[in-house]
Amino acid sequence: MSPPGTLKKGEVDLGTSIMAVSFGSGVIVGADSRTSTGSYIANRVSDKLTPVHDYVYCCRSGSAADTQAISDIVRTQLGNHAVELGRAPAVKTAAKLFQRYCYEYKDRLMAGIICAGFDPVEGGTVYSIPLGGAMIKQPFAIGGSGSTYIYAYCDANYRENMTRDEAHTFVKKALAHAMARDGSSGGVIRTAIIDENGVERFFTPGNELPFTLQ
Amino acid sequence: MVEENRADKSFPHVDGGFNFENFKRNVSFMNSDSGIKGTMPKAWKTGTTIVGVVFDGGVALAADTRATGNVIVDKNCEKIHYIAPNIYCCGAGTAADTEMTVSSISILQEPLRDTHDTGQISSQLELLRLNTAKSSRVVTAMTMLKRHLFNYQGHVSAALVLGGVDATGPHLYTVYPHGSTDKLPYVTMGSGSLAAMSVFETSYKDNLTEQEAIDLVAEAIKAGIFNDLGSGSNVDVCIITKDKVDMKRNFITPNDQGPLRASISKPATFGYFPPGTTKVVSTDIETFATVTTDVEMLEA
Amino acid sequence: MLPVEWSGEEWTGLDGAPGIVYDLGCNIYSPDGRVFQIEYAAKAVENSGALIGLKCKDGVIIGAEKLMPSRLLMESSGRRVHPVGMHAGIAFTGYAADGRPVVNAARQEVENYHDYYGVDMPPHTLAERLGHYFHAYTTYGGYRPFGLTTMVTSFDEVTQEPFLHMIDPSGTQFRFHGAAAGKSKQAAKTEIEKLNLKALTCAEALKRISLIIHTIREEEKDKPFVLEAGWITADTDWKFQLVPKNLRDEAFEWGKAEFDKMDDDDDDDED
Repeated sequence: MSPPGTLKKGEVDLGTSIMAVSFGSGVIVGADSRTSTGSYIANRVSDKLTPVHDYVYCCRSGSAADTQAISDIVRTQLGNHAVELGRAPAVKTAAKLFQRYCYEYKDRLMAGIICAGFDPVEGGTVYSIPLGGAMIKQPFAIGGSGSTYIYAYCDANYRENMTRDEAHTFVKKALAHAMARDGSSGGVIRTAIIDENGVERFFTPGNELPFTLQ
Repeated sequence: MVEENRADKSFPHVDGGFNFENFKRNVSFMNSDSGIKGTMPKAWKTGTTIVGVVFDGGVALAADTRATGNVIVDKNCEKIHYIAPNIYCCGAGTAADTEMTVSSISILQEPLRDTHDTGQISSQLELLRLNTAKSSRVVTAMTMLKRHLFNYQGHVSAALVLGGVDATGPHLYTVYPHGSTDKLPYVTMGSGSLAAMSVFETSYKDNLTEQEAIDLVAEAIKAGIFNDLGSGSNVDVCIITKDKVDMKRNFITPNDQGPLRASISKPATFGYFPPGTTKVVSTDIETFATVTTDVEMLEA
Repeated sequence: MLPVEWSGEEWTGLDGAPGIVYDLGCNIYSPDGRVFQIEYAAKAVENSGALIGLKCKDGVIIGAEKLMPSRLLMESSGRRVHPVGMHAGIAFTGYAADGRPVVNAARQEVENYHDYYGVDMPPHTLAERLGHYFHAYTTYGGYRPFGLTTMVTSFDEVTQEPFLHMIDPSGTQFRFHGAAAGKSKQAAKTEIEKLNLKALTCAEALKRISLIIHTIREEEKDKPFVLEAGWITADTDWKFQLVPKNLRDEAFEWGKAEFDKMDDDDDDDED
């Protein structure tokens, strides 16, 4: 058996750059689109931005199988919860459910998840659920193998109370640089803006990545 | 009276009990003077090329027909499995556990067993159809497959291309052994997937016609057959549209050796070797032991 | 031995009353569709002290008349009003011993919910779950319904609104502007309907509850009781709070004095 926190032999990896940023009235989530098995790109246009409810998304990194299984479970649970609640669930609730599985099965899973969304009480909210199963509320979060290359970029360029457009540009630029340096990230940039009006999705083709110096 | 004639008296024949033939074989593997000394043979991966593409109004699936094991090869096996009347599935299997040393027969059976897990799904879907009186959806099949495979944590080695047309239109998925899935307009799987993908990446376009789709998937499988050692033999194609499934078994047979063999002229004596063809160098005659049992009839 | 007899024609109670066999458990209906055990449980409530809940301008308050059967009892013992979470509290009247498991169940539900979903249990969910708990005891063989009517006050952190729910022994649960249970509940309801709840603050309501309890308990006028209360108001930062003793004492005395005044007036009229 493979040690915890590593992929099993032949397992599909989301060697990934993912990111979520909260701004004044909502959040932006973003991801690259590369899914690989070893050195082969199994899917060059994958969608790692996965909805778990109307206003809550998660960004998946790690094993494709594990993160798909977790988000499927969380989606059904959150749906049932919302029905009992009679209104949209809190982003914190979604994050809690993710954390529950990531923590409980930490020795069997390879899943780094960023859970982000909008709720009327907290507004745009970002939670990071890294490998061990912690749950950390952050103004912005980055994740996946590509994130290591953009920590300094993000720390230097993140500002509180960015406008929607500023935050969107920030996400796309950061991801473009992560994808440029990380071999297991690449393809296109997928982003989604979630606010009180709902979700708007965006697509940035691989030949139009917004590098800072261009 | 029973007579027992056996040549090898050093290895007594035993009926019943345990059979230690594999133990002797394994010892000889470990002591072998050849290059594999000290290692047991590993389970082999089975090669396969399977592909699928979405076209205007349907889905085209295709597969090669070579089944490889350690020794045994099926030259014309079927890799496109039935899931539901409107859903089919191409299966690529690999021996699940390369750590385990298995005999040649179980190496062949392993991939067959795993890809035949699709059978369970098709039964479940049929029951679901009878219960709901609604035709199956491709997402349902996909979800059942991924849950099954995720449950077994990759130990069920089935890599699948799942395609079909349901009430919501044509859908095409890949399902990996660990339970992850992708939804794409064109997909390839198996050891020949790289060769096949190169064909798709070159020639795919949106809104293919049915005929264009058939030609494209056949071309992709041929790329696998000719460039991947694990894939070979013929091309099977399956076309699924809204109200029809067209299974084109052996759609292309690029490796038919019949005409080639027929074209070779052979001498009249070909295949017939008269006594004396092989020279007798020496003769040694073994005298068999004769065991005699006398049975005496007695009045009861 | 079962307390029933076979009269030769039908089962009867030991007193010979026909049809009484249908009240031996709550897993059987009477022919006219009633479950007697639940009605008996309601009787237990009707013999107990009054419980009054009011949804006011600035919050929700529940007040309870805790009857003190002995002067030797500590005033604080046998509480009727309990917090079950930061944002929720319940009060009950009826068969007091049945209250403990209900309080424990409510606390567990509230805590587990917060643990699982990371947010406070919303008022309607708390009332619903307690309703399920009550109802379960009216369906299983070997159990009897709770002899309690319970009021739930809790705060919805999303809509920023306080709620008042009441659950009866059958497990049915409704949301109220004002509610009353226990002895003389009809008289209490009549008094509540006279109040202008939209203008009333919880502090004023506490006094009103005191007055209502003093008004409706004519028969046991001489039996001592303690006024217990809990509230969720803007002043408590929408947290559940047991109303402090000095406020309760003040309200008690005010209610007593007002009632005596009214009583005197009545006496004067009669003269």
